[in-house]
Amino acid sequence: MNNYKSKVSYDSPCDSDNDWTNSSDDSKYSDSESSVPEWDSDVGEDGELVYIKIKNDNEMTDFTKTPLLENCETFKLRNNFKRSSTRRSTKGRIFKVLKSHKSKNTESSTRKGDEGASNVNRNVLPDEKLIIVQVSKSMIFSSEKNCQIEKLFGLSLETHADGKTLTVAEFLTEARAIYTPKVQKGYYLQKINGIEVNSYNINNILQRVIEDHNSPRLTFQVPTESHKVDMERLLKSKTAPDNSLTHLLKESLCSVLYICCNDIEYNSDDDKGVLYCYPRPFNQNFLYNTRGAYVTLNHLAPKSLGTSEPTTSTVLHNNTLINVTYTSHYNDLLLVAFPNKEVDLFAAKKVIADIVRLLEFLYGSLKSSFTKPNNVDKLDGLFARVFVTLVINSRGNKEDGGKNVGLYFEDMLAAHSVTLPLEVKVQVDDAITELEAADYREWTDDIENFQRLYTVIGSCLYYNGHLLSSHLQDEDLKEINAYLRLNGILKLSTEKELEKLVVWREVFINEHRKQNKNDGNEFRISDGRWFLLTVGKGHFVLSTLMEAGGCTEDAVGVTPPSPFYVEECESCLELLYDVGLNKYLVSWFNSNSQPQVETSPEYLTKYGRKIRDINSLKPDSTLKTSTLKLSKQTDKRRHNSSEQINVGSSTSDMNSMNSLTNYGSHHSLYAQTYSTAPKYRHSSLDVSYSEDSNSLKSNSEVSEERIQGRRADREQRNRRDSSGSDSDWDRLDRSRASGSLDMSDIRKSLLNDINHVTAKRITAGEENVLFHFVHLESERGVLIAPVKNIEVLANNVLYSYIVKTFRSACKQIHELLQHSIRFKKNHAPSNPLNKILVAVKEHGMLFQTPVDILSQCGVSKKNCEPYLFWVVGRVFSEPEPRELYLCYHESVPQDLTEVAYLLSYLE
Amino acid sequence: MSVVVIAVATESGVPIFSRKRGNNENVQFSTIASLHGINMFSKCHNLSMLNTQVDNGTILWKEYCKSVTLIGVTTGGLECDLELLLSCVHDTMVFCIGKKELENLKNIDQIKRDLRQCYPILDYLLESLDPNTLSSPLPTLVLDLIQSILCPQAQQLQQALDNYAESVTGRWACLIIHGHLVATSSDFYELDPREARLMLLLAAAQDGAPLRDTPVYLPQMSPNVAFRAVTCKLLADVYILVVCGATPALSQIDEIVLQCWESYASIIKEAKLVHPRNFPMSLTFEPCVLGLLVININKRRCVFSRHLHLSSQKGRGMSGAHRMDILRTFYVTSARDLAPELKLKDGNHKVSELNDEIGNMCETYWCSEYHKCHAQRSGNILCCALYASTVQLHTIRLITSQILQDLSTNKDVYW
Repeated sequence: MNNYKSKVSYDSPCDSDNDWTNSSDDSKYSDSESSVPEWDSDVGEDGELVYIKIKNDNEMTDFTKTPLLENCETFKLRNNFKRSSTRRSTKGRIFKVLKSHKSKNTESSTRKGDEGASNVNRNVLPDEKLIIVQVSKSMIFSSEKNCQIEKLFGLSLETHADGKTLTVAEFLTEARAIYTPKVQKGYYLQKINGIEVNSYNINNILQRVIEDHNSPRLTFQVPTESHKVDMERLLKSKTAPDNSLTHLLKESLCSVLYICCNDIEYNSDDDKGVLYCYPRPFNQNFLYNTRGAYVTLNHLAPKSLGTSEPTTSTVLHNNTLINVTYTSHYNDLLLVAFPNKEVDLFAAKKVIADIVRLLEFLYGSLKSSFTKPNNVDKLDGLFARVFVTLVINSRGNKEDGGKNVGLYFEDMLAAHSVTLPLEVKVQVDDAITELEAADYREWTDDIENFQRLYTVIGSCLYYNGHLLSSHLQDEDLKEINAYLRLNGILKLSTEKELEKLVVWREVFINEHRKQNKNDGNEFRISDGRWFLLTVGKGHFVLSTLMEAGGCTEDAVGVTPPSPFYVEECESCLELLYDVGLNKYLVSWFNSNSQPQVETSPEYLTKYGRKIRDINSLKPDSTLKTSTLKLSKQTDKRRHNSSEQINVGSSTSDMNSMNSLTNYGSHHSLYAQTYSTAPKYRHSSLDVSYSEDSNSLKSNSEVSEERIQGRRADREQRNRRDSSGSDSDWDRLDRSRASGSLDMSDIRKSLLNDINHVTAKRITAGEENVLFHFVHLESERGVLIAPVKNIEVLANNVLYSYIVKTFRSACKQIHELLQHSIRFKKNHAPSNPLNKILVAVKEHGMLFQTPVDILSQCGVSKKNCEPYLFWVVGRVFSEPEPRELYLCYHESVPQDLTEVAYLLSYLE
Repeated sequence: MSVVVIAVATESGVPIFSRKRGNNENVQFSTIASLHGINMFSKCHNLSMLNTQVDNGTILWKEYCKSVTLIGVTTGGLECDLELLLSCVHDTMVFCIGKKELENLKNIDQIKRDLRQCYPILDYLLESLDPNTLSSPLPTLVLDLIQSILCPQAQQLQQALDNYAESVTGRWACLIIHGHLVATSSDFYELDPREARLMLLLAAAQDGAPLRDTPVYLPQMSPNVAFRAVTCKLLADVYILVVCGATPALSQIDEIVLQCWESYASIIKEAKLVHPRNFPMSLTFEPCVLGLLVININKRRCVFSRHLHLSSQKGRGMSGAHRMDILRTFYVTSARDLAPELKLKDGNHKVSELNDEIGNMCETYWCSEYHKCHAQRSGNILCCALYASTVQLHTIRLITSQILQDLSTNKDVYW
């Protein structure tokens, strides 16, 4: 360990050179010799590193459940920020200023203090099922290992992954009758004689049990069914996953098997060519036991039946439907099995592609992943994480009636990206570019003698599991996305707030892997080594792909992360914090504005309009605040969609309002229906303003010139700040007003961006009829869709129903459209394709909402016109295939080409 | 495209038959053995292989009567419900030799010989999947639906059929023109739709014989006791089929036919003229409608038509056969979801979990580069229509619902 550590400190520019640190006096980086990074001790022997520190364990910052801004630590850091911003020089500000350990420390300490005071522990324990078993004192079990526990209780224990909890590992044969069937393997031993036990005090307690004359009473706890595995721990652990997890995976019938079918190579092997199998033991793995069937079929199909190799098999085992996927690699076969309930056939096909991508990315090829020496534990961990992410942790909670959520259509296909306003995008790209440029004149004056360790090839930034920006090649992005998603890092960053995350490992980039096959290329990339550095903070995750070799120093041997580069990435994230992106994104994600989707679908019925009016007359009804806020924006824009793209955004609120009233006056036909809308809108805008008077007159006489009084006040304020967002921003602005003068330029500009935000609509028609959409660019590995928690934001039964239908319909449409895409991609396919299906470029389905769902939304059964909505998918094949899926209300026909066109303006 | 159906005795592994369609080679004995072996092996491990997907195709094992395993393999972008095909194949086997024989499988060689008589029907079934055979004289287009002709004479003919069935002391009778069901006796719908469909296939398979009787087992109604199906050729391409008991003898039936049907010759000739339009002349369609498939969901009857307009537009656009294939593919891939009751019901609860059903769909459409397809359901009737690619979707929706309305109000439409 010491060897490479010293090497690093020698190479690292921040150590070899103190010059730049002197430029900023209060930077505490000058004593870097003493500041060993906190993750240093976690670096593995192979140089890999997974370091995760979650911000305050008690706090369940569940993003999805707390969509309101006030929960997301609004302005605690302002003072610190001010200080650091004054120190910022224009050049190299990221690198210099933000490295201040001291300020970081004060930040974190104040933060901790804040949280400690304000946080109520919301982590309510679920109902735990307890089982009490009394073991007779007179019974003494024979223990081979002469283990006290086995002798006394007739069972063997092991420690759970948390290092504390004791779980049942095995029963002795004589004792089995006492425990089964009530207690099973994997249950937690919670108490002995009413005293809580854990791995630390077990020996003491045993001693007491021995001395005690009464028969011991054991209390077991059933691991809850919707038991979520702690991803953080799983990511960190360097050893193989513990038995209870393995058992859980075995129970849920997840399985991996890699078989080498070349007899000569591994004939000596006892397992007849099975190179890898998880979960083990072998003989309990159903995939291992039935491997003969898959291997035979894999041989038979192409050779004797004239079909291609099998891709998936659906099997029924123990009354559970399982999807088995096949991946051939020369003579070898990789089989991966998923329970159909969590990963259906459609998802399995997508997921296996990602798994293969991931293995190749991490190990170069499928074969080398499974033949690399001493790699079994690593693979176990990897697959455990994959299965936990896909199967165990995606299981529905009990609140959902145990109903399985499954994998969302959007999540399986590509990296979920969001559209950001241009100014924000520029900021984000700027920050990343600065990192990638790695202009080391900023760091050292001694340019001649200093060679860089790595070249940054590209990086991508995620927030809350959404891709914000990617500077990577398409294939690299796909692989890194698979890596982050399947390892659960994206999910972790969504569900928890990260204090610090550093993940480092060597990877094999696609370009280099492919190149090996066609040698002699003039433009071949150099033989080097590649590393992926992932850092996280808050809900941000930044992955950077770095190259060693070529123009940088060659990496030789074990290569641990360089503290310098880790800090570079961290400071890049810090910069984003400094410009307030974290706060901005929270409101942006909640604003539902680009493009806007209608989250209160019932308002599109005649009856719903009535409800809307009634609701709008009672502005203090707090019941529906969240939906009201959102639907306010829905109504905001009534003019033609083509128009609205061009609308100047500075006076957006005014414009929209005028257009509203214009509609009211010009089109007398519409007057009746739409005159009601402004009423509602006003009332929902901000409760603090009493809206009743306004709402009554607003439909008739409001115009730009005649705004007076409080109304005018607010209009101006709106013009200044929060056009696109909701009342939360108003509040923020007020709180900021005192100290906002001395803000940095960057901060200001970003805040201005928020002012420029306008809700955009991409569908045609008077009202917003868009419920959901997915725009998939499969070649780029990117898709655009509304934010993942849009359903939670909507909080609407009908909306959830619509989105659920949309997702399952999309799967079918996607499958159909693939014919066309495959045909276009490959003009002489080896397998003849169906001539008719390849021509289909658009497929639509019209759905009717069941009455009971409508009535749950308050649309009464009496005046129930059928509620219809379309799910339509279309493929655009030029220049590279893109797919657009839309879900919209039937009342306005939509042209998908036009929608795609409008959507492209938002990007 | 190609499709292979193999039947194997489950326990002994003796191949019973193998039928194929398409450009693939015959499946070798060793391959059959291996395929069967895979199934047996996984069964030993308490695992059943339900469905295997290959690139562009499917491999399926299905066990029936605990004695026969059917293996189906499709490839080459063939859109079909392989599971439905296998269950139809099984129905056909029962239809020919009865369920008891099939369960016992005592004398496999005898059974193999007996099953030979159902080869023509099996071949019809396989043919119905092949888009290349659409131009054949007796196309069977959809596996589970009875192809029909809607004609105004159906009501009159029904009386004649009732009369005829009574005279031969039979029960179910129907009139078949060009392999399409035209009229039925009033109790014909007591038969399971799939049995009715087998009857039609039987008549088609016995093409040419003027009068013939065949023992048939009805897979649903009486799988163990054989009935007697009597087919009689009235005119060219016109058959009547009746299911009756052992008497009267064929010679007597010959006389009865003459008595019953002599006076109906002109009506039958009129009805015959409806083919190939297959819809009564009083139903008219917009010129942009290129082809039509109308399905009566309860009765499992369908009407295909590609000759909707009298002024034939030859040499323009796609060929008629291609139109039928588009409609058929559209129905099989997408429009069938509009009628979930048409789906094959599997007893196993778990298996049905696989078909992730999206409920409450009421319309669906395809836009391709050359045409548009639209399907809409109204009550019991499902209408799939093929349009020129230039027609707008909202127009299409109007026209389809107009067709559905016409179908329900037109007096000449008699299912």
